[in-house]
Amino acid sequence: MEDTNPHPPKRRRFFAVSSPSPPPEASDPILPSTPLRELHGYAANIDPSSDTTPFAEQDEDTTLEESPEDQFGMGMETAEIKDLSLRFDATMLETVVGELSADVLKRLDDISGGNIERAINMYLDGSWKEAKPSEPKKPGKQSPFDSMLGQNGKRKSSAVTGQSSTAQTPVSDEETAQRLDRMPYERYIGSFGAEGYAVRSGSNLLSHGEEVIIGRQQPQQVQKTVRRGKGRPVTVVSQAASKRKDIVVRFSNSKGEEIGRLPHETAQFVSTLLDQKICSFKAICVYAPEPLRSNETIFLQLKCYMLRQTFAPRALRLTETNRSTGLFETKETEEEKALRLRQTSLVKLFNEIRLFPTSAGQDSKAKRDGLLQVAEMAEEKEKEEAAKGNNTPAKDEEEPQEGKELEQDQLDQLYKKAQTFDFNSPEAEPAETFTMDLRKYQKQALHWMLNKERDKKNEGQEESMHPLWEEYTWPIKDENDKELPTVENQEKFYVNPYSGDLSLKFPVQEQNCLGGILADEMGLGKTIEMLSLIHSNRNEPEAASGTDSKPFNLPRLPKSSDVVEPAPYTTLVVAPMSLLSQWASEAEAASKTGTLKTTIYYGSDKSLDLRAQCSAANAHNAPNLIITSYGVVLSEFTQIANTASGSRATSGGLFSVQFFRIILDEAHNIKNRQSKTAKACYELDALHRWVLTGTPIVNRLEDLFSLVRFLRVEPWSNFAYWRTFITVPFESKDFLRALDVVQTVLEPLVMRRTKDMRQPDGTPLVYLPPKTILIEEIELSKAERAVYDFVYNFVKRSFADNMEAGSVMKSYTTIFAQILRLRQSCCHPTLVRKKEVVADEVEAEAAEAEAKGLTDNMDLQALIDKFTSQENDGAEVNNYGAHVLQQIKEEAQNECPICSDEEIQEMTVTACYHMACKKCLLEVIDHAKRNGNQPRCFNCREPINEKELYEVIKHDPDVAIGGLSGFRENVPEFSLRRIAANKSSAKIDALITNLKRLRRESPGMKSVVFSQFTSFINLIEPALTRERIQFVRFDGGMSQQQRSVVLSKFKAHTGGLVLLISLKAGGVGLNLTEAKRVFMMDPWWSFAVEAQAIDRIHRMGQTDEVIVHRFIVKGSVEERMVHKIQERKKFIASSLGMMSAEEKRAQRIEDIKDLLS
Amino acid sequence: MALPKRIIKETERLVAEPVPGIQAIPHDDNLRYFDVSIHGPAQSPYEGGVFKLELFLPEDYPMTPPKIRFLTKIYHPNIDRLGRICLDVLKANWSPALQIRTILLSIQALLGAPNPDDPLANDVAQRWKEDEPGAIATAREWTQTHAAP
Repeated sequence: MEDTNPHPPKRRRFFAVSSPSPPPEASDPILPSTPLRELHGYAANIDPSSDTTPFAEQDEDTTLEESPEDQFGMGMETAEIKDLSLRFDATMLETVVGELSADVLKRLDDISGGNIERAINMYLDGSWKEAKPSEPKKPGKQSPFDSMLGQNGKRKSSAVTGQSSTAQTPVSDEETAQRLDRMPYERYIGSFGAEGYAVRSGSNLLSHGEEVIIGRQQPQQVQKTVRRGKGRPVTVVSQAASKRKDIVVRFSNSKGEEIGRLPHETAQFVSTLLDQKICSFKAICVYAPEPLRSNETIFLQLKCYMLRQTFAPRALRLTETNRSTGLFETKETEEEKALRLRQTSLVKLFNEIRLFPTSAGQDSKAKRDGLLQVAEMAEEKEKEEAAKGNNTPAKDEEEPQEGKELEQDQLDQLYKKAQTFDFNSPEAEPAETFTMDLRKYQKQALHWMLNKERDKKNEGQEESMHPLWEEYTWPIKDENDKELPTVENQEKFYVNPYSGDLSLKFPVQEQNCLGGILADEMGLGKTIEMLSLIHSNRNEPEAASGTDSKPFNLPRLPKSSDVVEPAPYTTLVVAPMSLLSQWASEAEAASKTGTLKTTIYYGSDKSLDLRAQCSAANAHNAPNLIITSYGVVLSEFTQIANTASGSRATSGGLFSVQFFRIILDEAHNIKNRQSKTAKACYELDALHRWVLTGTPIVNRLEDLFSLVRFLRVEPWSNFAYWRTFITVPFESKDFLRALDVVQTVLEPLVMRRTKDMRQPDGTPLVYLPPKTILIEEIELSKAERAVYDFVYNFVKRSFADNMEAGSVMKSYTTIFAQILRLRQSCCHPTLVRKKEVVADEVEAEAAEAEAKGLTDNMDLQALIDKFTSQENDGAEVNNYGAHVLQQIKEEAQNECPICSDEEIQEMTVTACYHMACKKCLLEVIDHAKRNGNQPRCFNCREPINEKELYEVIKHDPDVAIGGLSGFRENVPEFSLRRIAANKSSAKIDALITNLKRLRRESPGMKSVVFSQFTSFINLIEPALTRERIQFVRFDGGMSQQQRSVVLSKFKAHTGGLVLLISLKAGGVGLNLTEAKRVFMMDPWWSFAVEAQAIDRIHRMGQTDEVIVHRFIVKGSVEERMVHKIQERKKFIASSLGMMSAEEKRAQRIEDIKDLLS
Repeated sequence: MALPKRIIKETERLVAEPVPGIQAIPHDDNLRYFDVSIHGPAQSPYEGGVFKLELFLPEDYPMTPPKIRFLTKIYHPNIDRLGRICLDVLKANWSPALQIRTILLSIQALLGAPNPDDPLANDVAQRWKEDEPGAIATAREWTQTHAAP
């Protein structure tokens, strides 16, 4: 609410109470009224001309209102100075350096820019006496520790960079100051006509050409801190007043008699401009009836002047509120509203006076219209809510649901912009302690990241205007074509129509976040890039023993509850649980022994007290890298939030320290800003903040907000701001603008390269061996089909009933459970009745909620029994005579008589000892059955049947069976097994067939089998055991420990090995490049999820071609999932498990409709 | 659709190790379609004739038998006027282990041993039963006129 406040920014009002006696300057009558000028009056080299009278005061109207204005100004000043002297905590300063006089305090504040640490240092080394004032540090990092560390980091880096960045800032500050000083108190920008109406009658009240005074109504509430001058209506209105929407603007004649009011539509913006002290208005009566009667129209010409103070930087405004947000969301609407009023009023004014930008990002007309529209929408919304009796914070809660999904082409466009990666950008060599070789683009990433952390501007990039700003030229002639006085070097001014900010200085697009978003596509080595950064930009304990450690020895801040201990040597990595051990092992692999102390902070390993461990005092033993999970962050956050004090310090956990750097891996985990996890992550404290994600925007623009919020990129991390500039325009279909803005947010923040990017010489960024995805259509057996059809009809009927009754959402869980069963029946009929845990939590919940229906259905049971009856008798049949086996052995050399394959695949014998491929034999039987014939032997025409087929199991002596090696000697070279026993399900069969072929053709090749149903994995296991195919298993039910054991076993094992892995647990992050084959047992709703899983194998480090088999049951919902639903959401990775439950449901219902249509 | 390995192999072998008196050449544009010619067996009324046939391997070959038909007019009790052949291995007795080569050999054998008891061309079969020498003469005559090489 800064902007309705009479004070210029750069001070915090709440300090006024504790302020010491006002400095003597306060009463100095010579000083001009605007506090900003006064502030710079302390500068050593102040421009003397600035003390001369501003030209507005010499201007034509120096009449009545001039002296009140002055008085008023003086009043202001008193309050101002009180505030100004206390941008930092004087008490704290004085406890360090001893008591100080008020003007010393003031001075220190000026020169240090409100930075207490700087102030202390300057006071102690005496440099404060001749120092020039500097701009306050950017508010986002205003926490004393932040700035300390920032200072610290910067000092180190500036040694390398040659002071370039540090030297620049004060200069430009001074420039701003001088520029502002040169600006007159007010400056004409234009005029417009208005038709006011009279509120009194009489004659000789107003005549043509007479001066009219425009003023606001006296606000009703008491103004405590500001003394008002008499005469001129006070232009100060508090929040409360503006809330009441009092917009009456009165005008009076030169005698001070109130004559009338401005019309509503004019008053609307004029009132705001007056209230927020942006403009002043002077009016001339063009025509007034004589005698004047009440309610008659008076024609006025309004001249508008911009007030100088408007141009003073107001950057603190938004950020302060943001900081006060604290652990819990506060309402942002007051601020939002003032902002809106300010911006719309400015836009309306510029429209009235026909002032158009000389340079702007885009068509300004459209822009203005858009802004007004946004404001209208907001107003309407407000009204609606008022009608509903909702208070505003509640509205805030609802908003994220409103965020519209991005269309793919929009997303593409967005990414394309963010992806314009310059292949010639500089590279940086990682520190020596980093042992891995980086590729060129990785070195470029390192360079970029180092730059971001050291807060250097990207060289070679010319300064461009901040895209939210517009450039305007001061008019050089007034409404009567009279020359106006000009100000040297000040032809332009700049307006940010989005925030209502005004500036005389060229608004440079700047970046002050000491981190960013590393959004390289999966498999480009984000982890390695990050590890190289960890090595290459770190604080060395040795160095810290010198001057650098000084800041850490400072006494702690008095507000004890929030004391966070700096951990200047520690980087925190937050990653999904399944990736913890991978991070640890990669960190180990990338570092010279002993150069990176790494700790996994999880579960029982959480015992250490981070405050003690990571403090600067413990420099030599502090862990350099702490790896933890989102779950741990959340649980510690809830713990703290639940204690009465909410004290971070006492916990000794993640929230009690300020890390050197935080890295969020797979950061789309926090894409929902309302989620507790996201909120918890925002509260983690660190100097450098990074997020890693392959998908910075999953499907809505708000996803990005959450990342930006975590990064604390000002001002975007303020939701009100974000909403105004991005969400609302986007929702009101102004996509272009919203996306434009998003691009400008993204551009400096994001580094993103994709796998298919090509370097200028045409070689791909990353060479990855080819990947082939084969869809393998599975034909269900008759018995399986019967089960499937039964379930399908059941589900379809039930869904149709629900549609008709309109109770789809209500019976969502039931329907969903049924669909789940249907999908499972494609995998294995017995799954239909299993109540075991399934991969998806939603599904598990749904499956449990399934009260009636399939589980108790007798007909279904009969069908399943029919299926399982084929399954019994799994014993191997070895009672054949030796001669039979001999014959088999000989015949095995022959080709298959049916398919002519050189080697019979899965050699299978009939009861009459004729041999062919299993597939061929089954096909013969199947073909005969379909045509209603008795299946006969292809050779001797004896009747045959499935139950009397025997598969020849060849026990390859080369293949070691894990744990079974002693047993091997007893295994005959050949044995026979009834095929029916093997007939677990069509899909398992297909998998086994593939795995066996693989074993035969490429012995030793590793493969990964993904399924989303752990219960299905349970059924695959015995089939593999039976075939003596070695496997390991990885699923969500395993502890962190178990997982890492499995992964290292899979990596270390020599020879073929199958990894059975649940899609949910293993779909993200893992590195499984040891495998070359992938089997996707069941399709997921969106292919992106499957693709991500496949990329676990097909990623950097993969040396061979990867072949992926996707098993899809022919003529089933699976087919429709793949061809319809996956096709539809090809590009939206919407089902990465991060949608809200509600969204998920609505979408699923749509999907289900598709499935059953 | 890719040609199954089995068809490729059979074709190769038909070329590499041809059966005497039998020729089967696949069409360039449809490798499932063969031009077949069979020499009439010695000591049969068809001796000296070269009979043209067409052979087509259906989609589910070898689960189903090839479709095969005489193009040359032939006077035979088991072959009708349209050239269709009545042969058990082309119907119920088909087995996927049979091949193009074996089928053509069976047809050649059928020419050498007409079976009027299982007729397809009823008039021919009738004549064969009642007046075998006359029928054979007609068959010879037809061979001369229609199947001259």
